[in-house]
Amino acid sequence: MSGFGLVLGKELREQLRTMRLVVVAAVFAFFGLLSPVTARYIREIVDAVGGGQLGVAIPPPTVADAVAQFTKNVGQFGVLIAILLAMGAVATEKERGTAALLLTKPIGRGAFLAAKAVAIGALLALALAVSGVLCWVYTAILFEPLPVAGFAAAVGVLWLSLAVFAALTFLASVVARSALVAGGAGFAALLVLGIASALPSVGPYLPTGLWGAADALALGHVPDPLAGPVTTNVAFVLAALGAAWWSFRGQEL
Amino acid sequence: MDIALILAIVIPLLVIQVGLLFWALYDLTRPERRVRGGSKVVWALIIIFVNLLGPILYFLAGREEG
Repeated sequence: MSGFGLVLGKELREQLRTMRLVVVAAVFAFFGLLSPVTARYIREIVDAVGGGQLGVAIPPPTVADAVAQFTKNVGQFGVLIAILLAMGAVATEKERGTAALLLTKPIGRGAFLAAKAVAIGALLALALAVSGVLCWVYTAILFEPLPVAGFAAAVGVLWLSLAVFAALTFLASVVARSALVAGGAGFAALLVLGIASALPSVGPYLPTGLWGAADALALGHVPDPLAGPVTTNVAFVLAALGAAWWSFRGQEL
Repeated sequence: MDIALILAIVIPLLVIQVGLLFWALYDLTRPERRVRGGSKVVWALIIIFVNLLGPILYFLAGREEG
């Protein structure tokens, strides 16, 4: 793919220059730290807020609570960040006219899109890795160490769930001429998939259904099903990126 | 649990949250900074009052990169 390295380098430098890398890593780090702390001290927090008068019986915290907090927090905020990162990826370049300018150089349209998608995926992967390491360390301090391989697999599955929303928003960013429209489409996808995930037969196969699988993996269990949902979500990502390329290759810029 | 451990746990969280808030406000007040929608006041209110999400929205969607 001609020009892939050139565009990827430009994207990565831009992530550093605009401090997007630092901000996204900091937010993910925040939730990596916060999740085990919340799980460990939720009883004390409720007691402090209610002065012991609320009468809410909260069971003693366990390591499973820390993991559930992590997947929930990182999943929910991560989706939001994935949509915000992808919404302007192509639409903003089209709005400004920089996409047309860049593509006058010997850069293929496929390479242009692939580099942008890889840059977003890499940023999410780095931020999730930071978050995962911090969560693992704090969980080990406050509860007990989690199985390293299982926890790493859980972080990988969480990344896949975020990649689906990023890819769908990326597709919208290619099709639409405005980043706001693309962002709206990303949130619409989140809403639709969130509602559909309540259906027991399809829920585990949707990106939000992967959060449950991540919970089990982090605790050292193998969820059932696992291969089907992972394959389905990889297919979602590839289909969205394929559709983005198909739309972009004949587009008037 | 001793106070040193509590501080070691809480301080990084505070640093990230307060750091992002002040950094976003500092960035917003730079004279050359242009923001989506044009109103810096609205963005300042979002940064200050929308807890954690405000600075994220500002950094990822609020700034117009020249």
